[in-house]
Amino acid sequence: MAAEHEQDMTTAEQVHADIPGWGVDGDPENRPGVPMLLKPEPRGGAHWHRPERQPPPDFPVFKRAELDELTPAFGTAAPPKGLSGVLRRVAYAIPENRVRHVMLLLMADRVDVLESRLLGSPAKTLGTVLSLVGGSWLLGRLRT
Amino acid sequence: MQAMIFEGPYRVSVGNKPDPVILHPNDAIVRVTRSAICGSDLHLLHGFITDTRVGCTFGHEFAGVVEEVGTSVRTLKPGDRVVVPFNISCGTCFYCQRGLTACCENTNPNSEMASGVYGYSHTTGGYEGGQAQYVRVPFADVGPMKIPDDMDEEEVLFLSDILPTGYQGAEMGNIQPGDTVVVFGAGPVGLFAMKSAWLLGAGRVIAVDSLEYRLDFARKYAQVETLNFKDEENIVATLKELTRGRGPDVCIDAVGLEAEGSAMHSILGVKLKLEAGSPTAINWAIQSARKGGTVSIIGVYGPPWNMVAIGTAMNKGLTLRMGQCNVKRYMPHLLEHIRAGRIDARGIITHRFPLAELPRAYELFEKKRDGCIKCVLLPHGHA
Repeated sequence: MAAEHEQDMTTAEQVHADIPGWGVDGDPENRPGVPMLLKPEPRGGAHWHRPERQPPPDFPVFKRAELDELTPAFGTAAPPKGLSGVLRRVAYAIPENRVRHVMLLLMADRVDVLESRLLGSPAKTLGTVLSLVGGSWLLGRLRT
Repeated sequence: MQAMIFEGPYRVSVGNKPDPVILHPNDAIVRVTRSAICGSDLHLLHGFITDTRVGCTFGHEFAGVVEEVGTSVRTLKPGDRVVVPFNISCGTCFYCQRGLTACCENTNPNSEMASGVYGYSHTTGGYEGGQAQYVRVPFADVGPMKIPDDMDEEEVLFLSDILPTGYQGAEMGNIQPGDTVVVFGAGPVGLFAMKSAWLLGAGRVIAVDSLEYRLDFARKYAQVETLNFKDEENIVATLKELTRGRGPDVCIDAVGLEAEGSAMHSILGVKLKLEAGSPTAINWAIQSARKGGTVSIIGVYGPPWNMVAIGTAMNKGLTLRMGQCNVKRYMPHLLEHIRAGRIDARGIITHRFPLAELPRAYELFEKKRDGCIKCVLLPHGHA
């Protein structure tokens, strides 16, 4: 057993010798994430006690039900719209820990895709609808 | 400007969008010179992350040049070259003050789960991403790091996410000298977790994946042992055999919610979405780690739940560590590792594309074609 262990160590040492910087962060004192919680103080170049608030835009921005107001900064990537927007509004009125909050958002995402495709190319959509209606009518006629 | 546009699951394009503007006094506008596609962007693309709206732009790994700053910005000026952490952090909330910038409570009104993140759905605050020619950077005095004059964007680009994430994953493993560390997933984050495990003094590092070209890359880039789980009857049993029957001291999940390896979880979690993706990598980590060992999770998972082998973890007395990376905290330390040549971060870039070819880049990265490890976009060409 001792011989086997010795052989392993020799092999490991050879491997480690070829690795740039092997073990340089071995001491936990030198690890940037240790301890997990640092002594509280402002980070980066923050020069405020409380951050200023981003002015609200002229379209709805949803927030989770637990918050009284929007966070000081927020994104405005894609404002809510259509039926998907309604679903999202309902979802955000439900606390985040409820499964129906997640499920409604997932449903809204799928509805959003459908809405975008239907509204994105109305001519194509109209053509598809007419084809379906026409096809059904023709099928009905052929059956009689 | 030109930007990536999400059109729905599995569909992306490039189109025109309005240039971003200053919306908050501490905003900056950054002209993006390098932007990467992350493995976690694929989770958005595949419809796993809630409130991913059609028309939004992805991209949370980017570097560029400051174009404009808000009235309260003191540390940056137009012309500064910066690399930007993927977390958007205020610097002064309860969490930021304690170094947990990934948990900032002032940048995401939509979810308690995470801070604001660039280009990662409205669940992380609804911010536009960096796969575009320009991007709005909130709290510009807190997050961005100036790129040293003697370094170029590609050398430091991955300080924005995947290098600190990989490092934090290894660090959370509390690696002791000589420990055996197993990294599940040989993608970009997994590769940096392997490199970091060596820096932290691991005795042995083993990579597990199913893609032979990625394992081959890992052997060369990170000098690790490799296992292809598709060649093994039972990967957990194999890992125990390799570690004298006990199991590795530390297991790192660098895969996330689209893990292969279990038909049941692939159907329930990935195809049917009856759980939040597949927890196969977590379960393998829990099952193979030695008793009293540590499992570190840096793969991305979403709400609401997964079928995780928590009873096994409890009975084995494992320590579970996990979390989004507090990028800001790691940037200076890892910059020094790059400078000293201990980590060649740029060395994982296998493909570069102009922004106009973004759909092709996504397809290549998603389908793992052409030996793709990491795709980088050049939104302004070679500027």
